[in-house]
Amino acid sequence: MRRIYLDHSATTPVDSRVLEAMLPYLTQKFGNASSVHQMGQEARAGVDRARRQLAAFTGAHPNEIVFTSGGTEANNLAILGVAAAVPKPGHMIISAIEHPSVRTSAEFLQKHGWEVTILAVHQRGIVRVEDVQSALKPETVLISVMTANNEIGTIQPIAELGGLVRGERDRGRRNLWFHTDAVQAAGRLPLDVKALGCDLLSLSAHKIYAPKGTGALFVRKGVRLLPLQHGGHQERERRGGTEAVPNIVAFGTAAELAQKEMPERNEHVRRLRDRFEEQLASHVEDFVLNGDRELRLPHLSNISFRFVEGEGLLIHLDMQGIAVSTGSACSSGTIQASPIIRALGRDEELARGSIRFSFGKDNADEDVEYIVEMTARAVESLRRLSPLARQSAAVI
Amino acid sequence: MAYSKEFQDHLAHPRNAGELADATAIAEETNPVCGDRMRLSLRIHNGRIEAARFLAYGCPPTLACGSALAEMLEGMTANDAAILTRNDIVRAVGGLPARKLHAAALAIETLRAATNAAK
Repeated sequence: MRRIYLDHSATTPVDSRVLEAMLPYLTQKFGNASSVHQMGQEARAGVDRARRQLAAFTGAHPNEIVFTSGGTEANNLAILGVAAAVPKPGHMIISAIEHPSVRTSAEFLQKHGWEVTILAVHQRGIVRVEDVQSALKPETVLISVMTANNEIGTIQPIAELGGLVRGERDRGRRNLWFHTDAVQAAGRLPLDVKALGCDLLSLSAHKIYAPKGTGALFVRKGVRLLPLQHGGHQERERRGGTEAVPNIVAFGTAAELAQKEMPERNEHVRRLRDRFEEQLASHVEDFVLNGDRELRLPHLSNISFRFVEGEGLLIHLDMQGIAVSTGSACSSGTIQASPIIRALGRDEELARGSIRFSFGKDNADEDVEYIVEMTARAVESLRRLSPLARQSAAVI
Repeated sequence: MAYSKEFQDHLAHPRNAGELADATAIAEETNPVCGDRMRLSLRIHNGRIEAARFLAYGCPPTLACGSALAEMLEGMTANDAAILTRNDIVRAVGGLPARKLHAAALAIETLRAATNAAK
């Protein structure tokens, strides 16, 4: 069966060049980067090089990069680490479409006396800078708004928010920090921490063609942050634990390649995505694109199909060898319609029928026709079964 | 995909999908928690189910259970249909994970509502 992977926002395959770079660190250069001997120092050199590569990728200083076990840990470290460094519970601002690792970290703080403001993203799926401005309180310690959303790909006004925070700081506010989760934006948008004006920025390796299990947090010099992982002195006391040297080496290589190849990769996925949406419109009726059409990542298309449920469509496509994802999940008779699609003001049915198609650098032009055909066929088949579609037809 | 071959077959080739124009009993049930819906129309003659059609909206198990139910009902007596249980549906789709058993429960509820409507 033909297999087409269209879930690059979930994870990506390891690039062969990345694999090649990491392999020696699994076998010959397997030393512990904290060991004093030569083999340890070989591993240390690999980690240091990756740190410089990540610094170049983000416009940071190498000392400002903290390697973690992934994007989730980076987000936890940013939020809980900053919170741990202030003497008493304060106020935090997040958007309504943050990744669960940000949202649940904020909820954790809420249980411990913090106040959390959740910003609406309106119909376009984009935070308004004036909403952030008016949510600010004297006791606000942290603002966390993602660079681009994982489900609908909308790009947030990070540089403007960074400017807002810097303005506040210039007026004498010392303990206000700005974090952005750039896990989905990495490799797809230029990430310059100076231009963005953020103090903390999260990254994940497996979204940019490196293995799972490694991420990084940029921590601007001067940010007060306490470690969550206690143990050794690794990562300049900000994250204890033996470094995952092969994965870190892979991450560095992947970041360098992503930066170098970003224009071609973006052009490629944008062409496929746009052609997909265009062709789909001539094959399927009654669907809506979720999130802003322009301010979104080039590889991603999030679509709600009326009268059908997302999981059914996902399984149908899977049976045809096409891997996609849905934001809604049904378990034990309770449905969790996608909170992201709900945040756009969509009704329950549309929130249940949303599917994310996320293209990658290895998808081919000729895949598009097959994807459109299979999607149209699956939607049609599910609509034939749907009492909602019949009702609607009866009403019309 | 963790689902059985029978399950996938029901999903790919749903049996008895649609509605009967000459139904003698129709029922539509909704799972109030998840919003899954099933509609069943039956033509019962002399105590025997001559034809059964289903429509369903919801997660894949709901669609597969609707298909399995509509398929097994045809030719069955209304009395035999009345004693079908959730487990009969689960078996017909080749098993379901525990968290998806609600789909078989919805199928049985819809069947009960339809046979009650026929009385």
